[in-house]
Amino acid sequence: MKKSMSILAVLALGAGLLSGCGGSDEGSSESGKTTPDGKVKLTAIMTKHPLTQEFSKMEWLQKAEEKAGVEIEWQEVSADWGQKKGALLAGGDIPDLIIGPNAITDADYAQFPGLFEDMTPLITADAPNVQKMFDEKPETKAIATQLDGKIYGLPKYQRFWPDTTTRQYINKQWLDNLGLKEPTNWDELYDVLVAFKEKDANGNGDANDEIPMDFAPSGTGGFGAFMPTMLLGSQGITLTDNSGLGYFVEDGQVKNFFTDERYKDLVAFLHKCFAAGLINPEVFTQDYTKYQSVARGNGDTAAVGFTWGWEVTDRVGNTLAPQYESIAPLKETASSTDQLSWSYDYNSLNYGVNMVSLASTSKNKDAAMKFINELYDPTVSMQVLFGSLGTNIKDNGDGSYAVLPPEDKAMDPGTWKWTTSWADNGPMYISDSLKLELGTDMQSVGAQTEPLKAALDGIDKEKDVLPSMFIKYSVEDNNAMSLNNTAMLSLTMSKWAEWITKGGVEDQWAGYVDNVKKTGVDRNIEIIQKYYDDYMSKN
Amino acid sequence: MQLVQKKQKAVAHKRNFGEWMFDAVVFAICLLIFLSIVYPLYFVVIASISNSTLVSTGQVTIFPKDISFFGYSEIFKDQRIWTGYGNTILYTVLGTAVNLLFTLPAAYVLSRQEFRARRFIMFAFVVTLFFGGGLIPTYLLMKDLHLLNTMWVFILPFSVNVYNLIIARSFFESSIPKELYEAAAMDGCSHFRYFGSVVLPLSKAIVSVIGLYYLVAHWNDFFTGLIYIRSNDLQPLQIVLRDILLSNQVFSQGAGSGGAAGGYAQQYADQVKYGVIIVSTLPILLVYPFLQKYFDKGVMIGSVKG
Amino acid sequence: MVPKNPYEHPVNLRAYKKKKPTVLNTFVRDYQLWIMILPAIVVIFIFNYIPMYGIQLAFRDYNFAKGLTGGEWRGLFYFKQFFESYQFADLMKNTIVISLSTVVLSFPAPIILALLINQLRWKRAKKALQTTVYLPHFISIVVMVGLLNVLLSPNSGVIGHLLQSIGLGNVNLLGSTSTFVPVYVLSEIWQHCGWNSIIYLAALSTVDPQLYDASKIDGASRWQTIRNIEIPALIPTIIILFVLSMGSVLSTGFEKIFLMQNSLNLPVSEVISTYVYKIGIVSNQFSYSAAIGLFNTLINFFFLYTMNLVARKTSETSLW
Repeated sequence: MKKSMSILAVLALGAGLLSGCGGSDEGSSESGKTTPDGKVKLTAIMTKHPLTQEFSKMEWLQKAEEKAGVEIEWQEVSADWGQKKGALLAGGDIPDLIIGPNAITDADYAQFPGLFEDMTPLITADAPNVQKMFDEKPETKAIATQLDGKIYGLPKYQRFWPDTTTRQYINKQWLDNLGLKEPTNWDELYDVLVAFKEKDANGNGDANDEIPMDFAPSGTGGFGAFMPTMLLGSQGITLTDNSGLGYFVEDGQVKNFFTDERYKDLVAFLHKCFAAGLINPEVFTQDYTKYQSVARGNGDTAAVGFTWGWEVTDRVGNTLAPQYESIAPLKETASSTDQLSWSYDYNSLNYGVNMVSLASTSKNKDAAMKFINELYDPTVSMQVLFGSLGTNIKDNGDGSYAVLPPEDKAMDPGTWKWTTSWADNGPMYISDSLKLELGTDMQSVGAQTEPLKAALDGIDKEKDVLPSMFIKYSVEDNNAMSLNNTAMLSLTMSKWAEWITKGGVEDQWAGYVDNVKKTGVDRNIEIIQKYYDDYMSKN
Repeated sequence: MQLVQKKQKAVAHKRNFGEWMFDAVVFAICLLIFLSIVYPLYFVVIASISNSTLVSTGQVTIFPKDISFFGYSEIFKDQRIWTGYGNTILYTVLGTAVNLLFTLPAAYVLSRQEFRARRFIMFAFVVTLFFGGGLIPTYLLMKDLHLLNTMWVFILPFSVNVYNLIIARSFFESSIPKELYEAAAMDGCSHFRYFGSVVLPLSKAIVSVIGLYYLVAHWNDFFTGLIYIRSNDLQPLQIVLRDILLSNQVFSQGAGSGGAAGGYAQQYADQVKYGVIIVSTLPILLVYPFLQKYFDKGVMIGSVKG
Repeated sequence: MVPKNPYEHPVNLRAYKKKKPTVLNTFVRDYQLWIMILPAIVVIFIFNYIPMYGIQLAFRDYNFAKGLTGGEWRGLFYFKQFFESYQFADLMKNTIVISLSTVVLSFPAPIILALLINQLRWKRAKKALQTTVYLPHFISIVVMVGLLNVLLSPNSGVIGHLLQSIGLGNVNLLGSTSTFVPVYVLSEIWQHCGWNSIIYLAALSTVDPQLYDASKIDGASRWQTIRNIEIPALIPTIIILFVLSMGSVLSTGFEKIFLMQNSLNLPVSEVISTYVYKIGIVSNQFSYSAAIGLFNTLINFFFLYTMNLVARKTSETSLW
């Protein structure tokens, strides 16, 4: 009998809870009320970087809240935002503010109408700093404005980032050991790589432990930075933001390199290298961690000869960094006359969309907008990006500032920035007039971009750059394109890997191009061309 | 009698060699299985204290190299981990208790042939293994029931797992001798009492198995915390560990636009990855030996006869 | 051979045998049983049945303002979209190959393992093995795939080297269309076989020791004991679990396949679940993914239903 009694007891307990007397505190959010000292209480979600410390430790943020007269209850999300978001939005009870890089997308605004506030009137009333950004950089207003003319999310502008994500490195010490010159075209590169492979380039007595060429694993979702698609620049193709899905603009025409003859030549060249054992055999199966680990070699013995990366110490570690040097884009052949190009990523590195959104259900929109305005204040924005004044940034007292080296000596400046502040994930406006001396990491990125500068400066920004960052697609077009792209990538990315490792690009090319067209790539090109023309005619 | 014994001895003698061979083969296979399972596990342990760069380039195989406990100190310096442990233990114990209280009686009922609705109910239950409304309606339901951001969302929803229910039911059907209920019913024993004082004691093995299934499911559950919980104080261990894991895996996602960093975290990223497995699994490993004794041969029938 | 269901002719039903009881009658008679099953019915009704209205989403557009049931009715539009999609044939083929080989190969493994463990005579070894085999189950998928990457790497992995030393050449186990399925299935077995054997061990524990004694007296060999006593004891569990596993012919795990995918094995590793993820992540394709999910469910349910029918006809053990 005891058992059945306890069953009944649990049943009763369960029933009680289900009928709602469980005493949950959900829904009774404090948002909109005021604290005893007259501050407005707000709730907010921020999708922060996983490294970023708790917000309560950020001095600049406390001050910004103080100055705006608000007290914010933060929910800090560092993982699986995509999964959380769907339920949260569909459930309809969102916090006053949602902050983070594209945390709420244009598609979300369209799919959940009425959930977010059109900030246009509030900006005029409460946010002079945002207004100033719109005035000084009109393109920021353009990327904030939806097709229906409303502004649901505010962008960022961080100014200091370079024109490209990818730099090209070669092991200079190996070249010197073997008495070779820096390669300037694909054929010379091939010869250099063969020498790396056949001779003991690192001089450790083992002629077989050199990996002549390595690149970041090209996954199944398209291309990214640090991949050999950079070599398409040798043939005059200007990638924009890495052109992960293949789309690029050439002389005002939208094209896709997956069906371009020049891409075929690149694949054939890479297969020649792979077949000769010049590319890391695990290049398609290693993950990014391993890609980075391998390049760290063993002590001061380097392992990789030619590769791509963001910054040299990031790519090969501090010990080996002095062995490498950044080199200029290669020509396809010695006699080639193509205008050299490179991936132009300035827009995606310096602008960001929908960094902060405001709930239309918020009970105190003015207070929330004042807080947003605070974030776009010139000195606050600087601290959003690099950390608090005093600990992370030095005030020179003459209106200029300098980013301080990390307090934790074991950390590099990049990690330090991400750890102590919102960094690139925050809303901000770094105006072109701000006098700020950058940290060593950004300075060396700048220096290592120098060899690429001629190619990057030679890019015709009017006719050869796809301004994806500034184009807004309608929901229907966006959905149609994404379905086509999913199908296209599953075909093209596997062919890319197959052709490089096993060959066959010459024989299979024609049939392949037909198949790629079947996935709807031409339709996508048409759509993008329409939006591109429209954008160009307005600017 | 003597004749029989003699015969047995003779047979036993003849069988000895065959028996010995059989044992040897069984032992050899088991040893092979044991080694193939132990090595990767051992690898997880040494990888959690070795330099991650050496691990991923294959230089750590038998002994840990360049030993450091950075991974563990990184995991344990996070204060939330203790709240996480506390919460997870609470949800697991309470949740498993509720699961068993709801599941076992129902399984018993569905094992009774004379229960007329059994086929219909069984079918209706099995349907839920396949058809579901999806995340959004479920989220809205939790919202309406005021379960969002409460500990009860870990305990009450889905507290009957149909899969486990089926396993328990078929065990009751096939392993409890039918004569028992007839005898008990003649003594005027109710279903309540029969279930509590006869069926359950005879079913320690299946109760342990189902209990273990539920326990592990609660222990590993991170989805509930991810979707339904906002407050950090209510988050279970798995969410905390996932956060720690991710903050150390930054470099496996491609540094690119700004996460650019030197060799600092690179060297330790995998330590955290492997360390997290050990930290999250160790406590639950301690439970198994307690349950294991119920799987030993003949425990159940022994208790009937005795 | 299959043991007879012990409740085929329950004696306590004798009184009702001649006349079929009315439903009301049985309610009164079985009120205790109803009380015992009520919590389960309530919980399943609330948490599984109430949200089921969401299935409509497969036939409607999602409309936030009007609620889940308020969007425009699209009928079979999203199903058609899936059937006509460029990848449909490949997705179906890959999904079936992976899930069927997983079911076929990983189903018998825990049964064999349980019988093996049961045959181990040395108590300590038995205990050691029993506690080890279930450990891999607790390794998270991320780490599992990480382990595969490290151990199978042709350049640096222990298993990669091992294969090379026995002359299997320079096969990259991680990046080949022919090795993806074997690696996936074998690692599934490695990880879950021990855990899944627990239920069989529990079933073996219920074998009456007198049966063992009797078979010893009969002079049965160990092999015969396994065949005549132990396997029959496992049959009901085997049938139930087999029927249930048939309900997943079109389900493959998502996370592990997704993490194991690379551009070299993509032609065989793109399955329905990874496709749904990929179309979902770029834009909120609520209705499309609901339709694909429902299609999946219907196929799975059909297989389960059929298998259950077969089981009931042939063995008297069935789900319902």
